[in-house]
Amino acid sequence: MATEAAPMDEKAKRMRDLLSSFYTPDPSISTPTSSISTSFDNINGPSFDADQYMDLMIKKSNLDVLLQRHVQMAAEIKNLDTDLQMLVYENYNKFISATDTIKRMKSNIFGMEGNMDQLLHKIMSVQSRSDGVNTSLFEKREHIEKLHRTRNLLRKVQQFIYDLPARLQKCIKSEAYGDAVRFYTGAMPILKVYGDTSFKDCRRASEEAIETIIKNLQTKLFSDSESIQARAEAAVLLKQLDVPVDSLKDKLLEKLEQSLDGLQINPDEASKLAEHNVSSKDEESNNQGPAKIHEDAVRGFSEAMRAYREIFPDSEERLFKLARALTTTHFENMELYIRKRVSAADFLGIFRIIWEDVVLMDEVLPEAALSDLSAEAAQVTLKQFVARTFSHLQQDISDTLLKFDINQKEVVDGEVLKVVLEASGKAEFRQLLDENTGIFVKMNDLLIGWIQKGFQDFFSEKIHAGLILVLAQLSVVIEQKVIPRIAEEITASFSGGNSQAFIPGELCRVFHAASEKLLQHYIDTRTQKISNVLRKRFKTPNWVKHKEPREVHMYVDMLLQQLEEVGKEVKQILPQGTFRKHKRSDSNGSNTTTSSRSTTLHSDKMARSNSQRARSQLFETHLAKLFKQKVEIFTKVEFTQESVVTTTVKLCLKSLQEYVRLQTFNRSGFQQIQLDIQFLKAPLKETVEDEAAIDFLLDEVIVAASERCLDVTPLEPPILDKLIQAKLAKSKEHNNNNNKTTVSS
Amino acid sequence: MQGGSSGIGYGLKYQARCISDVKADTDHTSFLTGTLSLKEENEVHLLRLSSGGSELVCEGLFSHPNEIWDLASCPFDQRIFSTVFSTGESFGAAIWQIPEPYGQSNSSTLECVASLDAHVGKINCVLWCPSGKSDKLISMDEQNLVLWSLDSSKKSAEVVSKESAGMRHSLSGGAWNPHDVNSVAATSESSIQFWDLRTMKNVNSIDRAHVRNVDYNTKREHILVTADDESGIHIWDLRKAKVPVQELPGHTHWTWAVRCNPEYEELILSVGTDSAVNLWFASASSDNQASERSAEASRQRVNPLLNSYTDYEDSVYGLAWSSREPWIFASLSYDGRVVIESVKPFLPRR
Repeated sequence: MATEAAPMDEKAKRMRDLLSSFYTPDPSISTPTSSISTSFDNINGPSFDADQYMDLMIKKSNLDVLLQRHVQMAAEIKNLDTDLQMLVYENYNKFISATDTIKRMKSNIFGMEGNMDQLLHKIMSVQSRSDGVNTSLFEKREHIEKLHRTRNLLRKVQQFIYDLPARLQKCIKSEAYGDAVRFYTGAMPILKVYGDTSFKDCRRASEEAIETIIKNLQTKLFSDSESIQARAEAAVLLKQLDVPVDSLKDKLLEKLEQSLDGLQINPDEASKLAEHNVSSKDEESNNQGPAKIHEDAVRGFSEAMRAYREIFPDSEERLFKLARALTTTHFENMELYIRKRVSAADFLGIFRIIWEDVVLMDEVLPEAALSDLSAEAAQVTLKQFVARTFSHLQQDISDTLLKFDINQKEVVDGEVLKVVLEASGKAEFRQLLDENTGIFVKMNDLLIGWIQKGFQDFFSEKIHAGLILVLAQLSVVIEQKVIPRIAEEITASFSGGNSQAFIPGELCRVFHAASEKLLQHYIDTRTQKISNVLRKRFKTPNWVKHKEPREVHMYVDMLLQQLEEVGKEVKQILPQGTFRKHKRSDSNGSNTTTSSRSTTLHSDKMARSNSQRARSQLFETHLAKLFKQKVEIFTKVEFTQESVVTTTVKLCLKSLQEYVRLQTFNRSGFQQIQLDIQFLKAPLKETVEDEAAIDFLLDEVIVAASERCLDVTPLEPPILDKLIQAKLAKSKEHNNNNNKTTVSS
Repeated sequence: MQGGSSGIGYGLKYQARCISDVKADTDHTSFLTGTLSLKEENEVHLLRLSSGGSELVCEGLFSHPNEIWDLASCPFDQRIFSTVFSTGESFGAAIWQIPEPYGQSNSSTLECVASLDAHVGKINCVLWCPSGKSDKLISMDEQNLVLWSLDSSKKSAEVVSKESAGMRHSLSGGAWNPHDVNSVAATSESSIQFWDLRTMKNVNSIDRAHVRNVDYNTKREHILVTADDESGIHIWDLRKAKVPVQELPGHTHWTWAVRCNPEYEELILSVGTDSAVNLWFASASSDNQASERSAEASRQRVNPLLNSYTDYEDSVYGLAWSSREPWIFASLSYDGRVVIESVKPFLPRR
C-alpha cells in the first residue's frame, strides 16, 4: 500500500499540478519541482518543445532506447488518458450529484417560506405574551415599591410625631415660635385624622404645647413693648394657627385708630411744634423736641401700617381710611390753628410737618392717593391762610392808619406805608413764596393767583392811595428778587423735570404786569383826585362873567398840596431814579423855542387885540406847532420817584388844558388863568424832572385859554408879578402860622 | 403801531370838535363836520370820500353863525342836520338844511329849518331818533331833556315833552337806544340815566361818575359802552348793570368818545385827549355762563387793543364810523384835521 501510495501520491500531485497550471496561466506559480527538471527534456515543463525533444532523442539515443522510450511514452499517454477520463467522469459525477442536490434543495426551499412565516408569527405572539405578562406584573411591582416607600415615610412621620411634643417644648424654651408653628401645622393633619389612635398622647401633649405658644404669641401681639415687626410676625403665626384673626385685626386697628389721636397736631401745641421745628434747624443737638417726637410717632405709625398691610392684605381699605382720616384731621387742625393769627413761618413749619407725614404714609400706601388728597386739602388751607393773611394785613394796615390818623395824619402817613411795606411784603409774602416744599411748587400759580386776587380785593375797598404804591413796589420786589430766588431754589432742588410747574418767566411777567398796573392805578387815583379839584374849579364859576383877578386862586394851593403829597409818598417808597433832564438831547432848544413862542404871543397879545390879529395868532400857533417837535407828554412810567411825579404832573396839566378848552372866558377869566399858571410855573418846575414838557404844557394851557377867550388881553407883567409875590408872601405867612400852631399844640 | 400813513387827511380852517356820518346818503361815504372858533366865521364842511376811497373831497362848505359844539346828521334826509352852537355867552341848537344846489357857490348859507329854543343853560347835544324815518329829536341841556317833533316841510319843530332831570344831575350827553326807540341814555355827573320817552321818567341808572361819552352797540341789544375820564372804557350789559361786563384801559389821558361799529359788533373805537384813536376788540359776550370764563379769557387773550392811530397833533374829540362802509371811520382832532382810516386789516374773520 505504501509503495502504491507513493506513486499514487506522485500521480495525484502531478495531476494537481497540471490542474493548477491549467487554471493558473501564470508560469511563475508553477511548482518548484517542475522548475528543477531541465527545461527541454522535462516533458512536464512548460517550456517543453516536442520537436527539440525529438531531435535530441534521435541524436542521443539508439533505437532501443527510442523504442523503449516510445513504449514508455505510449504507456504514459495511456495513463494520462485514463486519468483524464477518470477526472472527467468524476467531475461529471460530482456535477450530476450537485445538480441533484440543487434540485433537491430547490424543492425543499419551496416549502420553507410558509414555515418561516409561521415561525415569525409564532415568535411575535410569544413576544406579545411576554409583554402582557410584564405589564400585568408591573402595576403590582410599582404598588409594592410605593408601599415600601410609604412605609419608610410613615416610619419617619411616626418618629416625628412621637418627637413633636418634645420638640415643641424645646421650641417654647428657645422661643422659636416660628419653628414650633411650622412643626405643628405640619403635624396637624395627621393629628387630626389619627389623633384618636396611637397618637392620642402625642396629640394631647403637642396641643398643650401649642396652647401655650398661642398664649405667648397673643401676649406678644398685644404687648406694646415688642417691636412692630415682632408683633407682626406673631400675628402671622397666629393666623397660621387658625386663631380667629379678624377679631385680632379689629382690635389692632382700633388700637391704631386710638394712636391716631396721639398723632394729631393739637392746635395749641402746633405753635410749639412749629417753633421747635424752626429752632431745631438752628440747633441740631436738641433733638428731643416735640417735632422730633411727632415725627417718630408718625414714622412708627406708618411702619405699623406697613406691617399691617402685609399681615392683613384685606384690610387696605381700612388703612386707607385711617390714613385719610389722619390727613384730614391734620388739615382740620391746621385750619383751626390758622384761625388764630399765625406767622407765615409757623404756618409753613406745620405745613412742612404735615407734608412729611403725608410723604411717609404715601410711601406705605401709594394707592391711597394721599398726596392728592392732601394737595387738595392743602390748597383749601392755603387759600384760607392767604385769605386770612390778607385780612390780617388789611386789619393791620387799617389799625395803623387809624392809630396814626388820630395823631398827625400827614407826617406819619409815610411811616405807615413803610411799616406796611416792611411788614407785609418782606415778611409774609416773600416767605410764602420762598417756600419750595413740593406742594408749593404745584400750587405756586394758584398762590399767586390768590395773592393777586387779594390785591384786587384791596382796590375795591377804598384804601389809601399810597398803599397801592406800596403794592406796586412790592410787586416789583417780588418780580425782581423773589422769583429768581425761588427759581434758583427750585432748580437746585428739582433738577429733574418737575420744573415745568414753575415758570419764572411767566411769573415775572405776571408780576411785572401787576406792578405796572398798580403803578398806573396809583397815578390814576392821584390824578383823579386832582382832576376833581380842577373840575370843581372850572365848572363852578361863570367864566364869561368873571371878575378881574385879585389874587392867585385857591385851587392852585390844593393842586400843589396834592402834588406834594404824591411826592412825599413816592419819595418814601420808590427808589430814586438816575436824574436826567429831558430825553431828547435838544431839550434846551425846544425850551427856548417854546419860551420864545410864548413871548411873541405875549407881545402880540399886548400890542394888538382885534380879531384879525387873533386869527393870525392862531395861524402862528399852528405854524409854531409844525416846526416844533412834538413833546412827548405821555411817556412810559418808570419805577422811580421822578418818573411818577412827572407823569402825575403832566397828566394834571393836560387835564387842566382840557378843562380850559371846554370853557369860554372873558378878559378877566383869561387873566385869572394866566395868573394861576404863571404862579404854578416855578413850583412845578422844582418838582419835575422834565422841565421842557412842563413848560410846553403850561403854555398849552395859556394858548387854550386864549383861544377860548372872547377878548384876549393878558395881564401886564408887573401886575402879574405883584400878585404872585403877594400870594407867595401869604402862603409863607400861612406856613408860619401853621408851624406856630403845630409848635404850640 | 402803524402811524397814520394809511389815513386820508383833510384840514379844516379852524379848530373843531365834532364830526358826523351822513347816514342818509346811501350813494356816498360822507361826513359832516363843523368848526369851533370863538371869533371867526364858523363853517360846516360836507366831506365825501371819492369812489376810489383815496381822496376826501369837500362837497360843500357852508357858513354857520356860531361855533359848533355838537353836530348830528339826520338819519333819513342827507341834507338835514342839527347843530349845538355857542355864541360864547349863550348856547343854542338848531336844525339846518343844506341848500338844494349845493357845492356851486363856495360859501352858501344854510337854511335854518327849526330852532330848538326851549333851553336856557348849556346845551349838550341833539339826538336823532335812530329808527330812521321817525321825525323825533331830543335835545339835552344840563338840566333838561326835551323831545321834539320835527316837521321839515313846515319848517317847524314842536316840543312834544320836556322833563327836568333836576338841579343835582348836570347832564352831559347821551345816546338813543337803537333797539328801543323809547329809551335814551343820558350821562350825568354821577350816573348814567335811562329815560323812558313815553313817560319822560328816569327809569333806571348806573352809578358811574364822570362818564364823558356813551354809545349803544347797534348789533347787540342791551350792550352799552361808556367812556370815563379816569378809568377808560366800560362795556355794560343793561340787564345786569351792577358791574361792567368788560373794562378796557382806554387812553393815557381822558377817553373822550367811544363808538361801536355799526356792523362788526366786537369793534369799538375810542378817541382821547392823548392825541390817539384806539381800535378795540371787545369779545365779551353777555351770556351768564361766560361771565366767569370771559374774565379768565380776557386775561389770557392777547391785548384787546387792535391798533392805536397816533398820528395826531392835538387831542382828538370827533369820531364817526361810516354806516355805508362800516370799516371806515372819520376822526377829528382839535386842530381841525379830519383823518379817514380803514380798519380793514383788523376786521374779525367771519
